[in-house]
Amino acid sequence: MNIFNNAALLIGIPLLFAFSIPLFGFISKQLTKWVTIFVIGFNATFSLYILLAHKFPSVVVMGNWVPPFGENLYVGPVAVFLVTVVSLIGLLIAIYNLWAIKGGDVTRFSVLFLMYIAGASGIILTGDIFNLFIFMEITEITSYALAAYGPERRALGGAFKFLVVSSIGSTLYLLGVMLIYTQLGTLNIAEIAARIGQTTPGLLTFAGVLLISGLAVEAELFPFNGWVPDTYTGAVNGVSAALSGIGAIAGVYALFRIVMTVLGKDGMYVLTYGKLDLMAVIAILATATVVIGELSALTQKNVKKMLAYSSMAQMGLVAAGFSIGSTLGVYGGIFQLINHSIAKSMLFLIVGVLVAAGVGERIENFKGLWKRSPFLSLAFTIGAFSMLGFPLFAGFWSKFAIVGASIQRGGWYDFIIGLVLFASVAEAFYYLRIVTYIFSSTEMEKPKIKVNLSPAIPIFILAVAIVAIGVYPNLIGNFSMQSAGEFTHKMKDYVLNVIPTITAH
Amino acid sequence: MQVFLQNWIYLIASVSLIGVGLYIVLTKENIFRIIVGLNIIESGTNLFMIAIAWHPKAVMPIYTATDHLAVNGKVIAADPLPQSLVLTAIVIGLGTTALALAIGVKIFEKYGTLDVRKIKEAEK
Repeated sequence: MNIFNNAALLIGIPLLFAFSIPLFGFISKQLTKWVTIFVIGFNATFSLYILLAHKFPSVVVMGNWVPPFGENLYVGPVAVFLVTVVSLIGLLIAIYNLWAIKGGDVTRFSVLFLMYIAGASGIILTGDIFNLFIFMEITEITSYALAAYGPERRALGGAFKFLVVSSIGSTLYLLGVMLIYTQLGTLNIAEIAARIGQTTPGLLTFAGVLLISGLAVEAELFPFNGWVPDTYTGAVNGVSAALSGIGAIAGVYALFRIVMTVLGKDGMYVLTYGKLDLMAVIAILATATVVIGELSALTQKNVKKMLAYSSMAQMGLVAAGFSIGSTLGVYGGIFQLINHSIAKSMLFLIVGVLVAAGVGERIENFKGLWKRSPFLSLAFTIGAFSMLGFPLFAGFWSKFAIVGASIQRGGWYDFIIGLVLFASVAEAFYYLRIVTYIFSSTEMEKPKIKVNLSPAIPIFILAVAIVAIGVYPNLIGNFSMQSAGEFTHKMKDYVLNVIPTITAH
Repeated sequence: MQVFLQNWIYLIASVSLIGVGLYIVLTKENIFRIIVGLNIIESGTNLFMIAIAWHPKAVMPIYTATDHLAVNGKVIAADPLPQSLVLTAIVIGLGTTALALAIGVKIFEKYGTLDVRKIKEAEK
């Protein structure tokens, strides 16, 4: 067990600055946005340092109480990699917000945004099943408030819907946690993971169903994702980008940390303890999510709503990749998750620039965009190609890996091949429709769109990242491969790194 | 291990509170009633957490206050951990309720109604 207590700064610094931002707000409102960039920039550099200097796997021990007695953070390959991605995307969105967030209460927006990043990093880093609940609540409560931000009244309805669904979800999660606590008397993820075989199978199955229904809200799986379209459409575009780029990563991570590490059996393919194989349940839910998300996205005329449904469908694909349960499947899932975050947050930022320039949100409004702004048109096209998995763009490699994993597993998991192909065809249909509109010409000459520097930087970086990953997939692939092992070999790669002396039961 | 099942009356009460709350959230159209329903669900969860920590013969879990923490090798003290978790859960519930009410007030200002169906019609 390596101890690396400095990693706690990844949560501590954003929280500290979040609550001191009102002081900076007294000086100047513009300053608070710069403080946000500075703090998230610190998070990004520090997590990149941990990732590249290979400071993991290590454990943060609070107050010298070694796990399982004290609370701990686990800095493993998954955690470091995902925190790096979260803070880099957060940094880019913060740079975009410099330009986008002008009216309204800028100071409080900065407070909420920093707390959102802190909560998401906390979900990913924590090694305690109840702290996961607390960080989940921090992330969710800040995201309700962020989603309600803005001049438009439809934001309120979306935020309220999100609030109702996800506070019921987190209550169910808490019930599941307490049911496991009655069985094992511990809340430490590593200890529960090692001793999960000692529980009563019936109670464990019930607890597992409660945990999945709680966590599926943020991971956007089928019966619990009714909030997605309204919230994404209503929120200002920077917030929609954050919800799809940061919240989705944290939600999927939490779901599979619980299902695969806590409830899963070690083996060739991960199955779960209890009377019901919860990985198969997730595979079914993911299939339903993909089918419903893609079919709903086909009929949308509003681009933001279409992106929201597409985001839902992509999360279904991610969950399908994970639910195969082999290293290759989890690799595909993580890779797809990262690609989706990069591409979808870029698409939302582009829509934000276009709406601010008076283009509008409907598909027809995108007609002749190529003449008006070649930069935005190219970036949108790159994002769309990555979404539908066009070769030489990022999304291709992750879909390829998911298909490969389902062939490798065989059996009834073969249907995931069909699922990925169905998703690609549906996505090709509705994304290429917009791309066609962008490159078609109109009779009327419309004025050119001027893109400011501050929204242009994040869009440019994200577009370059998509092409770079597409040409050289090992850029993300190596890290995803390292991370995948942590999910599939829980004793070797997770539990024994946290509590070296424990034996599995 | 199943000591907590001795509190079946509290467990049943908490589960029925959660059921009542879910029913209210799913069927009512008024935003204020939905918030009350959320609160009932939270109360049910908190009662559940307290109920699994306590059993009828439990003593307080303070080591110096009593000599009878363990009888015949069995711990009879109430479990302090869920009680401290409940405090956190209550605070989080308070925060959620406050934010929900604030959003509700904003919705009433912007739409002039708290009825979910009328808000949906106003959007179209």
